[in-house]
Amino acid sequence: MTRTVSSVSALLACTLAASVLPATASEREMSLAPVPGFVEEAQAAGLAHVYDGAWEYFVGGGVAIFDCDGDRRPDLFLAGGKNPSQLFKNVSPTGGELAFSGVESGLAQKQSEKVLGAYPIDFDNDDILDLVLLRLGENLLLKGQGDCTFEVANRALAFDGGRAWTTAFSATYEPGSEYPTLAFGNYVDRSQPGAPWGTCHDNSLFRPEKSEGGTVAYPEPIRLSPGYCALSILFTDWNRSGEPSLRVSNDRHYYRGGQEQLWAVPPNRPPRPYRKTDGWQHLKIWGMGIASVDLDVDGFPEYALTSMGDTKLQKLDVESDETVPVYQDIAFDLGLTAHRPYAGEDLKPSTGWHSEFQDVNNDGLWDLFIAKGNVEAMPDFAAFDPDNLLIGQWDGGFREAGDLSGIGLDRRGRGAGLADFNSDGLLDLVVVNRAAPVSLFRNVGQGNAAAPQPLGNWLAVDIRQPGSANSRAIGAKISVKTGNHTIVKDIQIGAGHASGQLTFAHFGLGVAERANVRIKWPDGDWSHAYRVFANSHVIIERGSEKARLWYPE
Amino acid sequence: MTDFSRLGVLMTCAGLAFPTPLSADPDLPPWSERAIQEDIDIEALAASGQDPIPVLQPLGEHLFSAKFTSLDGAGRPDATGAIVPTKVRRKSHLTFQRLAGPDANACASCHNEPVVGGAGSFTANVFVSEGFESADFDTIDPQFSNERNTNALQGAGLIELLAREMTTDLRTARQSLLKKARTSGQPEKTELETKGVTFGSLTAFPDGTLDVSGLDGVDDDLTIRPFSQKGVFASLRQFTVNAMNAHHGIQPSERFGPKWTGTRDFDADGIADEMSTGQISALVAWQATLPAPTRMQDLPDVWETASAEGEQVFGTIGCSSCHIPSLPLDSLVFHDPGPFDTAGTLRPSDLDTPLALDLATLKWVQALPKDAQGRVLVPLYGDLKRHEIADTQNETYGNELLAQRFVARDVFITAELWGIGSTAPYGHRGDLTTLNEAILAHGGAATESRKAYSGLAEEERQSVIAFLRSLEIAQ
Repeated sequence: MTRTVSSVSALLACTLAASVLPATASEREMSLAPVPGFVEEAQAAGLAHVYDGAWEYFVGGGVAIFDCDGDRRPDLFLAGGKNPSQLFKNVSPTGGELAFSGVESGLAQKQSEKVLGAYPIDFDNDDILDLVLLRLGENLLLKGQGDCTFEVANRALAFDGGRAWTTAFSATYEPGSEYPTLAFGNYVDRSQPGAPWGTCHDNSLFRPEKSEGGTVAYPEPIRLSPGYCALSILFTDWNRSGEPSLRVSNDRHYYRGGQEQLWAVPPNRPPRPYRKTDGWQHLKIWGMGIASVDLDVDGFPEYALTSMGDTKLQKLDVESDETVPVYQDIAFDLGLTAHRPYAGEDLKPSTGWHSEFQDVNNDGLWDLFIAKGNVEAMPDFAAFDPDNLLIGQWDGGFREAGDLSGIGLDRRGRGAGLADFNSDGLLDLVVVNRAAPVSLFRNVGQGNAAAPQPLGNWLAVDIRQPGSANSRAIGAKISVKTGNHTIVKDIQIGAGHASGQLTFAHFGLGVAERANVRIKWPDGDWSHAYRVFANSHVIIERGSEKARLWYPE
Repeated sequence: MTDFSRLGVLMTCAGLAFPTPLSADPDLPPWSERAIQEDIDIEALAASGQDPIPVLQPLGEHLFSAKFTSLDGAGRPDATGAIVPTKVRRKSHLTFQRLAGPDANACASCHNEPVVGGAGSFTANVFVSEGFESADFDTIDPQFSNERNTNALQGAGLIELLAREMTTDLRTARQSLLKKARTSGQPEKTELETKGVTFGSLTAFPDGTLDVSGLDGVDDDLTIRPFSQKGVFASLRQFTVNAMNAHHGIQPSERFGPKWTGTRDFDADGIADEMSTGQISALVAWQATLPAPTRMQDLPDVWETASAEGEQVFGTIGCSSCHIPSLPLDSLVFHDPGPFDTAGTLRPSDLDTPLALDLATLKWVQALPKDAQGRVLVPLYGDLKRHEIADTQNETYGNELLAQRFVARDVFITAELWGIGSTAPYGHRGDLTTLNEAILAHGGAATESRKAYSGLAEEERQSVIAFLRSLEIAQ
């Protein structure tokens, strides 16, 4: 028998008959799409790190996944809360076990503490990735030196990191701007009377200002008021207008009279929130993390919003005018609510944090990862709350496979990210847990730790705009076509829970041996179709006739 | 679940291996109209230590000639013939049709000249369409499809082995170049060559990136794809899986099964699991072990003499620079699945142990010449490389409008000429009735050789024809 789904089916047939699987797994509908195996190997990989701290660190716990030294392999910056944050260089052998080496980032001890989250970005257009650190207190803009060391650039950029409790970040290049606009989402303002209840901090928007000498500065923030305790924000072109708006997911636990928010951010004009008169509907959730992808490739992204209890999946209402942001929740229809633990005896609602659409089995269908974990010891919510891996199905739905895949640990997940750390074409997973070691899972496909085996075909795409502003093409869209199946992914900075990544964009190709890739560049221009073969890393530079290939050592 | 599948699950649960790799459906009456009746567990066969060739060949031969019926799952009402599983946009009222297909009852319906597994007449042409959304077209308008003549499969096992070794060579060169660039810290360039065939150049950069714009005649992933008139399929297995769906509407599970489509009946014809990995392996084994074409024996003296002279002229005028008389092959072990297939065609990683077909055990292989290093010389008269074969002066072979699988409309793999004496008509469309016409149709990269041929005296041209016609598929 081939070691394929048929063997999985056979295995399930055997194990179900023998009542070996947990009851919850045997009762739910199984994924027809292949379920990859994940092997936890943080300790062996040298990734020793704990995110911890008092109440202020019940939230946060982010990870930035990016290449800090130009070797094109994804490295890790891990927020530590009360512990120092740490930078780990990826030294994983290609196709082998994961391995990381702690390196000095150049940050002072004080600067590396009180960090809740981190996002990679190239804020100075030198094509070397920089970092934005979200902190309890002054946020930091770290200029990358290209060798995994960083310099604090707050003063050089006239950036006031403030004193807020910052929990969310997003960035975009507004039309006509050479430098990114930075948005910071803040949580509870602890200094106000009556805190924490109803005392959410305003959020901030920093627009770049260019001096006559050509240098950029971020002198004055624009207040995005009211703030409702944001835990995830994302610049997103929700209506295909070419002008990203700022989606804000807020934690109803602390706000009063608040709701989920969408801010219009017209160039050179003040931002303004969409209101009921604009079609924006009142929605109150314990918003923790945004994940965005265009599931049905209609040009209008869907948004998964994690919360306490059920996850939402918002789709622009087909009955409504496309110009108004009216969304319907299709999470239940697609089996994506993930509202309580899928394993164990605890039937209380679960608590979702970081979420991310990726294709973990390379079948060409998006899957959804959700980090789960009790806030601390909230008695009304599940204590054992394993992370979700919802595998996309051919009927458009999703099936839970967290336990079958091996990621369902008894840890309180927070931030996370999926990336191919060992360049084998299978997305691995890092999860920052509260008050517990960080989890690092190697995706071994349909094999095991000793002998990983591939699943579907895949493609890793890095796009660049060399020699121009926004070299990393933030705001671009990558379209990958195989047969008559098209998948798209936006290059964005933001969303998730305090965690961001800028690495190769990963696409599962299923059984397709080749693909046509087109890029919609940030200014709206479409590239010609690049013809690429499956199972390769390709680099597409704007204006180039052919894609370049990259091979790991 | 089919009986075979149920049996497999039962035995897996019980921790048992199949007692024999070959199994048949015991419930079928002797007059059954089902053509697919037997299956082979290839993992059990590989583990058994048996020589897989005699086990697989009979079933493969049967399946190659079998006229599939609706009871087997022939027809694909809800699927197109596309290589990537694709649903039809609207169903056709025709079960069979010669354009979008299914267009054949059996493999041997077309591959039958001069023997089963051979080539086909113009009558047996097929239509190749890349326009997946338009796979339900109902016109032969060339804007939707390319018309192709049926290729002969004799010797295909050796062709695939050559391609695998060449792919390995090219990829090894790529790896060395990348390492060199990383070490030197500066761009490094190399000319690619394997088995005496050049494939352009590669440039590597210290950061591990690669410029593939200098490649010639091979895909960017450096996989030699020797099959089809175009040269765009890597293995017999890949081609067989494609063809079973496209031509017959039989969906092999390894691509159209639940793992990649979420259903066991992708074409919604009521028949699940239409073709197993074992049945595909049987088809592959039969094709891979088909005796290679040979030279005609006992020719009349006048033909013998002319043929010998023609072979020399063939080299002199440059034909043999692409139609290389033979390429050396290091290993005769044909592993199935092969090393360079990707998801959707069975891969070595999908099995515990791949099948190893030792072609050296076959008498016709033992009769092939060897070089000083003991390598078998495969007399293919080809180079497994794609060339531009038409130009504005001579457009005959540029008669297609559509590129196929990233390969331009006027670029084709060098046709292997072994067996050419048995496989008229000629050209990828099968619309040239004589070898002389086929030679004169060469343009593009073959222009000089064609001109040289044109400039020969009639007697010399005839000698070339005499030589080519002596390359036969034995009956």
